[in-house]
Amino acid sequence: MIELTIDDKKIEVEEGSTILEAALKNDIKIPNLCYDKRLKPYGACRLCVVEVEGQPRLFASCSSPAENGMVVKTDTPKLRKIRQTVLELMLVHHPLDCPVCDKAGECDLQDLAYEYGKPEARFIRHRKEAPPDVRGPLIELSSNRCILCGKCVRICDEYQGRGALGLIGRGFPVVVQPAFGEILECDYCGQCIDVCPTGALLSKPYKFKARAWFLEEKDTICPFCSCGCTLTLGIREGKILRSRGKEDNGVSGGNLCGRGRFGFDYIYSENRLKTPMIRKNGELVPASWDEALTYVSDNLKYIMTAHGPSSIGAIGSHRCTNEDNYMLQKFMRNIIGSNNIDSSAAFGYAVVEKAWEMAFGQKSHRINLKSPLGKEVIFILESDLSITHPVFGLNILRAKREGSRLIIADSRETKLTRHSTQWLRIKPGTGIVLLNGIMKLIIDKGLFDRKKVAERTGFSLLESVLRDYTREKVSKITGITEEELTSTAETYATAPSRMLSLSIGAAENTKGLDTVLAAANLILLLGDSPDSLQIPAEYCNTFGLYQVWVKPEGKGILEMLYDETIPLHSLYIMGEDPVINFPQTSKIIERLRSLDLLIVQDITLTETAKLAHVVLPASSWAEKEGTFTNAEGLTQMLRKVVPATGQSLPDWMILRNLALTMGRDIGVRSLNDISNEINLSIVNRQSSIVNRQSFNPVHYTLGEEPDASYPLTMVLRDILQHSGSMSTRSQALDLVAPEAVLEINEEDAKRHGILDHTHVRVSSRRGSVYLKAKVSDEVLQGVVFVSLHFPHGRINTLTYPSLNGTPPICAVRVEAIK
Amino acid sequence: MERYRANVMLCAGTGCVASGAMKVKTALQEELKKRGLQEEIKIVLTGCNGYCAQGPVMSVHPDEVFYQALTVEEIPRLVEEHFLKGRPYQKLMFKEPEKKVAIPLMRDIPFFKYQVLRVLRNRGLIDPESLDEYIARDGYQAAAKALTQMTPQEIIEVVKDSGLRGRGGAGFPTGLKWQFCSNVLSDVKYMLCNGDEGDPGAFMDRSVMEADPHAVIEGMIIGAKAIGAHQGYIYVRAEYPLAVKRLQIAIDRCYEAGLLGKNIMDSGFDFDLEIYQGAGAFVCGEETALMRSIEGKRGMPRPRPPFPAHKGLWEKPSVLNNVETLAQVPLIILNGAEWYRSLGTENSPGTKVFALTGAVNNIGLIEVPMGIPLRTIIYDIGGGMKKGRKFKAVQMGGPSGGCIPESLLDLPVTYEDIVKSGAIMGSGGMVVMDDNNCMVSTAKFFLEFTADESCGKCVPCRVGTRILLDILTDICEGRGREGDIEALEDLSQDIISASLCGLGMTAPNPVLTTIRYFRDEYEAHIKDKWCIAGVCRDLCTFFIDEKFCKGCMACQRACPSKAVVGEKKKPHRIIQELCVHCRTCYETCKFKSIKILPAKAREAQPSELIELVGTAQKKQ
Repeated sequence: MIELTIDDKKIEVEEGSTILEAALKNDIKIPNLCYDKRLKPYGACRLCVVEVEGQPRLFASCSSPAENGMVVKTDTPKLRKIRQTVLELMLVHHPLDCPVCDKAGECDLQDLAYEYGKPEARFIRHRKEAPPDVRGPLIELSSNRCILCGKCVRICDEYQGRGALGLIGRGFPVVVQPAFGEILECDYCGQCIDVCPTGALLSKPYKFKARAWFLEEKDTICPFCSCGCTLTLGIREGKILRSRGKEDNGVSGGNLCGRGRFGFDYIYSENRLKTPMIRKNGELVPASWDEALTYVSDNLKYIMTAHGPSSIGAIGSHRCTNEDNYMLQKFMRNIIGSNNIDSSAAFGYAVVEKAWEMAFGQKSHRINLKSPLGKEVIFILESDLSITHPVFGLNILRAKREGSRLIIADSRETKLTRHSTQWLRIKPGTGIVLLNGIMKLIIDKGLFDRKKVAERTGFSLLESVLRDYTREKVSKITGITEEELTSTAETYATAPSRMLSLSIGAAENTKGLDTVLAAANLILLLGDSPDSLQIPAEYCNTFGLYQVWVKPEGKGILEMLYDETIPLHSLYIMGEDPVINFPQTSKIIERLRSLDLLIVQDITLTETAKLAHVVLPASSWAEKEGTFTNAEGLTQMLRKVVPATGQSLPDWMILRNLALTMGRDIGVRSLNDISNEINLSIVNRQSSIVNRQSFNPVHYTLGEEPDASYPLTMVLRDILQHSGSMSTRSQALDLVAPEAVLEINEEDAKRHGILDHTHVRVSSRRGSVYLKAKVSDEVLQGVVFVSLHFPHGRINTLTYPSLNGTPPICAVRVEAIK
Repeated sequence: MERYRANVMLCAGTGCVASGAMKVKTALQEELKKRGLQEEIKIVLTGCNGYCAQGPVMSVHPDEVFYQALTVEEIPRLVEEHFLKGRPYQKLMFKEPEKKVAIPLMRDIPFFKYQVLRVLRNRGLIDPESLDEYIARDGYQAAAKALTQMTPQEIIEVVKDSGLRGRGGAGFPTGLKWQFCSNVLSDVKYMLCNGDEGDPGAFMDRSVMEADPHAVIEGMIIGAKAIGAHQGYIYVRAEYPLAVKRLQIAIDRCYEAGLLGKNIMDSGFDFDLEIYQGAGAFVCGEETALMRSIEGKRGMPRPRPPFPAHKGLWEKPSVLNNVETLAQVPLIILNGAEWYRSLGTENSPGTKVFALTGAVNNIGLIEVPMGIPLRTIIYDIGGGMKKGRKFKAVQMGGPSGGCIPESLLDLPVTYEDIVKSGAIMGSGGMVVMDDNNCMVSTAKFFLEFTADESCGKCVPCRVGTRILLDILTDICEGRGREGDIEALEDLSQDIISASLCGLGMTAPNPVLTTIRYFRDEYEAHIKDKWCIAGVCRDLCTFFIDEKFCKGCMACQRACPSKAVVGEKKKPHRIIQELCVHCRTCYETCKFKSIKILPAKAREAQPSELIELVGTAQKKQ
């Protein structure tokens, strides 16, 4: 610690802090426009200059280290004069078009000019007069308003690892632009909009929607991935107009991705359900709540009596709150009397939990978003965490910047592979082989933790299973060289601190339970704690819904939806769209059609809802209160920020009302009651931790090998703008990624006669879909890449669920359409 | 080595090549062959000799006879006279202006007489592409000494004791810089050379790199040993193709001879050296920007600290020295600190190279001991003002420098004294100006340069220099307003205080020094709309004073717009509507009959004119 005096105030700061940091930590305000604590000091705006006693020159406080005994003045006539001049110079070219600028009212430049500015302008001779660049889908660039603080350029390059913007030119004419003045094509995270101190970078969807001072801002939790970032929503007249991140706010510290920033408008989709609907004469027609609930109640009662409660199942939702999900399982267990309840987690988080119990004897796995920081080696297996969990991805990039070695095993070129220290371009789905190969080398070289391994069961079995995974074999199957394999094994095994991370979910098909078990084996072999394996839950409340017991004690999804031998007469689906999101669409449709009663409770008329007998309109995440639990296990409050759409109601309330209609008391009346019950039940269950660690050796089996008729391997993965049925209904995100695209390697495209941007037919053993092709060198030869999510894409027509733990890799054929 | 009767050292510096040195070489070769002398006389192409104004030049050794302004036509006579008949050829010798006496020997020519060559020790004496010739002149002895007999700290101590200061302009003590970097612990360090000479009109570093590339390399090897670096880069602007070529040849020879690479001279010390070509941005001469540029990034300065000695190139400790600084290092190591201090002053020891140019008779590259008065440089080495014109100012330090007036001509050339005058030593550009120069336009010229070359990162420099330029342009074009001078001064001070790097901190110097010493000229521009030097076209009227006009018609013939009328032997007159204010008549007239009057004289009544002529006469 060092001590210095700033404005007569004695303060202590850590050595290495800058003067500005020291001041800000002690609530001493020094004006600045180019400083951001996430970025390296830049020193361009010169507003943060301070005087240091005994030094003739001025110090830019953002880049000058605080020194012991320093006496700093931050506000003297000399400094005021300099700041005044600097602002005057900025306003020489910055147009005074505040009346038509969205930033007015929350503009740093405006505020500083108000504080320091002079009434008269001495030097108005030069203005920039370039028209704003409105070509991009979401971000507008007005170079006239730009004061070239460089924050956007730096946050994009240094922090987001994207580098989509640059400073072009020299001297007065410098402008911020994408390379060669092309249309801005980037991650559309919009971080540049947040950091811009003027109105040079604006959100297009928000443009001319409201003056800053008319906006009411409310914080809530993001409804997309499981990072659980806090969104600051701007609301006017009951409508959400924008979403932004506030510095230091929430788990992400104010960082947001494109989904969180632009995706909220899915709640204004024209597809929103406004009234309950009942199928009459084959058509879904609007009905009143009374009618609908009575219909459901009568039919459920009938099925309960006719076929027994276990012929009824329910699917909960990662999109719904803990309270909603708790209510669903309580309804099923207490009112219906069935334990057939499951959710999309069956394809993701359930696998993780299962593996955790098998390998570590632990009940649940929560990650730490900051875990990558400070790790010597970070190893990521077949996952694009920058896309599935953008804020977790940011921490991985940050760790890399701060010196971590980043090893990525992935078939596809991604942002992470571009920033990696080593990129192992393995064939899709061969992660298990890679892990087994690494483990064999570690054992052969004696690099494992003998002491801890001795305490664990199953090591001899592991050794015998691994015997098969020689360097040659692993190299042949994965496609990486033997040297790469050896160096990875050595680097990982000898690192003083390390972590392995991957993601798993229904939207991915390169990993299965076996992959997680193989990863856990590696952790155990090296004697690491379970924390060094980080597998985030998929969506905003995937973790939470598991906590509130939306998991099968009776039949799970694989049985309810895929096993024809299981008798099922009714399904209650809350906030899920199995037709689009779950594998093998044809089977699901067949199953749903066979039901006597399909109840779908959702915010929009999904593809699944279109098959329902009754559709119940639910309120969206912004229209209700409740909690989400993120992948870290952190439970955060949602706020009701806008009124409900139409007659929609929060999911828990619909279930309460239904119970009442059925003449039963579910025991809770209000949200508060539910919260109390949840808290009690979680405390009650926490006792059952076994903590027995054992190896679970796994062999590699391919789900589906490519052959002559289906020569290509199809990889499913999220894309940055979309994560499911909500994002695809966002108009803003749709502008960037409007439809499912099949990415195919140049060579393969040539061989199959496929041209860039033409439509192709993709077929697997289970069906065919039509997609637009994009020829790309980001995917390997022999591999095609598709993302699910798009309702009209129906990619799951091609897929199948993994029943035995192997990665559900899918072989396909791609044909050009004449 | 083969022996020859005589060596012809033909200058092949960029200046002489531009004025036809290569054609002269061919002619010389053919002529020598024709006369059967090709076995006896050897032609050596040397680096810049310095006397660029008289190029192409050559000297003949061992006679030391100096020939200048060579032409292909004169070569046969020269060969016949000098090499066959053995008598120096007077026609191509240097003659002092007015005196017409030929001076045969180089050392007697005033331009060379007052110079002391240390940095330029090998100029005109060796073939820059030959390692042997450099070694023959004691080359790489200092490196051998440093690598085999001295510890890094000993090297640093000698350089510190010598008082050598960075010749890039700021004059930071080189030894101290090395010490800082040497003190930092790191596996990887970098030794860098700044050859991104960008001041308009300055070419000291280019000449050194072209004429004596090995001196720079040797200096870098010594510096690398001192700080513990094993990789070096020479950053040269791509506009210096000859320097790049010769440096590359020199580096290649060094690798062949084991003077670069692994285990240099069996000392166990490794040093690799590469050239990095800059793309010609002035700001890349700033050290942090230069390092970003080598990294392949946009060349923009970054705030210091951290200083490059701690975090420089690729965030590793680095030292960046100027070409001229490095070229002196071998001499210091070889001859010691005491010897180095035998020239110059206490705080500015040694010599300094200047590119002398402008309104003096002898222009070219000169090396003088520090502390020498400006007057000696201009009147003795420079041979005084051209055409006997009146000295007005000398601009030192290029765009970052300033104009020093006549009253300060006895100022000794040291870092401290030059700074006191408001100019800076800079890299060594020295432009002499006479009364044909308008000081406002001069300031504007340099501001055009800096405003254009500002990288655009920090606000005071990016916008401030542009505004200074705008105001100066307004003043020069007749839109000057009351308060402009104060605005210039005020804004200049703020730019100096608030800018991020040296470019911005010094960019207002040309404005401030011209206001300081030539304020009346600014006032005349603004208030009277009168550019006394007749440079600002909108602010002058050319008028023929009939009292002096002899009617020689010279101006009439010279005028491009046919604005001068009048009969032979009768006073001429300028038709103002046709005049384009190009100054041609003014420069042509031998009788000083043309007066430069304020703009309003264009429409003035005869009576007013007489008054204006009177005022003009007093001022000029």
